[in-house]
Amino acid sequence: MKIPIIERGFIPPDPVAPDSLKGIPRQQTNPVRWKGDSWQDFVDHLKADGVIIRQERSECAVFDTDSGGLAYGLPHGIVRPNSAEDISKTLKAAQTYKVPVTTRGGGLTTEGESVAFGGLLLDMTSMNNVLEINQETMTVRTEAGIFWHQLAEMLRRDGMDYLSAPLNLTASVGGTLGVGGIDVNSPRLGCSADQAVALQVVTPTGEIVECSETENPELMERVLLGYGQFGVITEATLKIRKFSPITMKYFYYSSLRTAIEDLQFIAKEDAADYCGILTIIDRAITLLVAFDSDEREKEFNERWRKKMRGHGEIGFGIRMALHYLLHPWRFKEALYIIGRRLTLFPEFSRTEFMRDNKIVDRTVVFSRAVWKYWGGRQMVIPDLSAKAEKFAEAVERGNAVCRKYFKYYTLYCVGIKLRGRLPRYEMSCIPADASDIAYGCEFEPMLKDMDYSRDHLQAFKNEIYDIGVDMGLSYYRFGGMMKGYIRRVFPDEVVDRHLAMKREADPAMILNPDVIF
Amino acid sequence: MNRVKGKYDVLIVGASLAASACAKRMVDAGLDVVALERNILPRHKVCSGILSPRGHRFLIENFGPLPREVLHEPTSCRGVTFHFPSMISIPMDFEGGPTPHLHRKFSDYWAIKSSGVEIHEGTSFTGLEDDGKMLNVTAKQGDKEVQYKTHFVIGADGPRSRVRHSIYGDYNKSIPWFMVGQKFQRIIECPLDDDYFHFWFHPELGHYTWSHARNRRQILGVGFPVGGNLHTYHARVEKYLRDKHGVKLEPAEEMEGCSHNFGPSLINSYVFGKGNVLITGQAAGFFNMLAEGMSCALHSGAIAGEAVVEAIHSNRPVQEVYRRQIASEVKRCTDQWNPFRIIFGNPHEADFKASLRKLSKKEQLIVIRDIVRFLKIYAPYKWGRQILAQSFMRIIRGEYPSSRWL
Repeated sequence: MKIPIIERGFIPPDPVAPDSLKGIPRQQTNPVRWKGDSWQDFVDHLKADGVIIRQERSECAVFDTDSGGLAYGLPHGIVRPNSAEDISKTLKAAQTYKVPVTTRGGGLTTEGESVAFGGLLLDMTSMNNVLEINQETMTVRTEAGIFWHQLAEMLRRDGMDYLSAPLNLTASVGGTLGVGGIDVNSPRLGCSADQAVALQVVTPTGEIVECSETENPELMERVLLGYGQFGVITEATLKIRKFSPITMKYFYYSSLRTAIEDLQFIAKEDAADYCGILTIIDRAITLLVAFDSDEREKEFNERWRKKMRGHGEIGFGIRMALHYLLHPWRFKEALYIIGRRLTLFPEFSRTEFMRDNKIVDRTVVFSRAVWKYWGGRQMVIPDLSAKAEKFAEAVERGNAVCRKYFKYYTLYCVGIKLRGRLPRYEMSCIPADASDIAYGCEFEPMLKDMDYSRDHLQAFKNEIYDIGVDMGLSYYRFGGMMKGYIRRVFPDEVVDRHLAMKREADPAMILNPDVIF
Repeated sequence: MNRVKGKYDVLIVGASLAASACAKRMVDAGLDVVALERNILPRHKVCSGILSPRGHRFLIENFGPLPREVLHEPTSCRGVTFHFPSMISIPMDFEGGPTPHLHRKFSDYWAIKSSGVEIHEGTSFTGLEDDGKMLNVTAKQGDKEVQYKTHFVIGADGPRSRVRHSIYGDYNKSIPWFMVGQKFQRIIECPLDDDYFHFWFHPELGHYTWSHARNRRQILGVGFPVGGNLHTYHARVEKYLRDKHGVKLEPAEEMEGCSHNFGPSLINSYVFGKGNVLITGQAAGFFNMLAEGMSCALHSGAIAGEAVVEAIHSNRPVQEVYRRQIASEVKRCTDQWNPFRIIFGNPHEADFKASLRKLSKKEQLIVIRDIVRFLKIYAPYKWGRQILAQSFMRIIRGEYPSSRWL
């Protein structure tokens, strides 16, 4: 019996029936390990070129999965490049010997995008130097393997800050630019990828190319939000701003829809510098707003505060107490809320991070609190991204799915300012029908001390993603789009056009081959 | 003379779908895994071959698009038709669309090869011992005895699991056993829709009676308690189908049968192993309603593999990890027999209640009466109270109690 080899990006007709699985062109999302043909020739070639390659099992085993923990695979070897030249030599050899190359920064993908199913893993974290902080142009030039917290640390020394970054700061800059990157200030400042003004990219065929919106703009548009398909980002020039401590306020809601409407109101009116929703349970929802300056806070208090329908902490606490007095059989739920209040909220105002009632470094505070108190070791965070009009329905449907699978979960909702309709947004995390501000929601089960099978978690994620298919949405932040869904969400014409561009840029289809095609 | 074949991280006994899914999870994570298969591959397997849509999806997502060779003709099954003694028939489409009609000889071979596991064919597991550091597994290759050293053993070797027997010697005597047999007959005339799998709720025909088309022949199958005579049961079914449904068939060309541990999944009485020995698939007792065991074999097998990977990663006892992770599959499988889930939910992949509602009120009552009469033939096994007790526990605790698992 011969097992057929399927060409990448091609989905053969299902021999079962044309309408099998309701006509969904499902794909192998848990790929077969690359067999290793020509691996030794490739290794010899790289060694002769002076590129160091590690093949020890102990080295490779470190990278056997990503933060999602649902896909596992082992590379045949690892290169930790010291320069763009190292990557160029690696990719040229990979084209010659047809060796798959998977790039990895912080490994914060959730669907196995940074897992190497055989072949070479390019561990980009070795390229982590900040090259220049320019306060005249208000930009920073950095190597792309740097983690956001390392970049933040360097910028703080000069009193500077990046514009927006993912809340998990162990994401790498390069990886984030490849998929999006959302912060609580994204309703004002857009996604992280939109703050890149110039990039150095090694193309899949090994050319080292500088690109920006004026120099090689087509490559720039392909690489940003491009899932690592069109090149390896080696350096990035990002916009920066002056660092400022922030003040934060909370509003509490017992209706998810009302909280979402207020979030959208704030984003639309540009009423706050930061805003986002974090739910505790379905009837305890927090809308946080924060301000970079006293003036902005004052303006909010004078103009917008009275329009907020959320309650203050005391008022909400009384309402909750009354509710649970009337529903005493739900006492465990009440205890859970109290427990969360007592453990989580002090994290946002720890004395070492506060000065004059302001959070001195939101980067540290948010990142620390979010990853300590939400979810668990494993990042199971399916998400949906929608235009404003569809967002509330999408969140409510996703919330119902969470309720079906888990007892406790949290939702994180935030807006994303768009820069018009840039080519980079096509087939990306940005919904095709969104304009001005898109909205995203993460659905995150509380997995601490829990053991769920991968199938249970994947079934949960798929049910969230299926809402996206049904409502014509997209997915944001971690990986953006999944291989199993790309042809369900986007028309074949769009996917085939991108596949043709990929084939032209990467003739041997070796760079990040299992991510979307 | 004994020969030591080698050291492995994990040794799987079996090379079917559960073994393939299990192997795939562990090979992907970089473990050294070997699968022992007593036959030479590809090997024959007695099975209806009708996989559920959930199982179909698992195969595609983990092993890739199905090659045409792994399918029988017709290649798909659109759904199930229930037939009742009152001559009411209820066709139901699978919610996920038509599902594969697998040729188990080749589908299992394709899956195990695709998993990337090292396979030792013609190697029968004979026993295991724990020396305190590793598990020593003995097996037979022809008339030679061979030995393996391994950290974990996975028993994915079907209802009459030898691995299970090696650690629970009396288990086979403690559960009721059923025979299922099917005969293949050329069709003279068959009004049964060949897009569907047909099942009869008829207490006089057998405990489990089915028919479907395969490669221009009709399969008539029947299940009954061990000790019964296949030919007697089969003749009764053939006559009934001829008289009541107009099914005219030529004499049987082939027949086959095997025994099944139908029961543990109904009453939440699974067997998951001891220490570093895990039992999975049908060996553990997984069996969906209508005896579709493949999708739960795939998923439980995968969970066994995941548990080993997770146990190694987190340095925890593998049984603890496995038993916590397998809870979702237990829920999915046992829910299918849970009367509360059937009445108030939809635990199956075809919507029986919606199809039932299409009948008149009178017909609905007749169908329910027929089902109750049919279920009475299972009374000697005293499963009814156990099912109800487990169903109540499911309501109270949100899951089935693990205390009943071996």
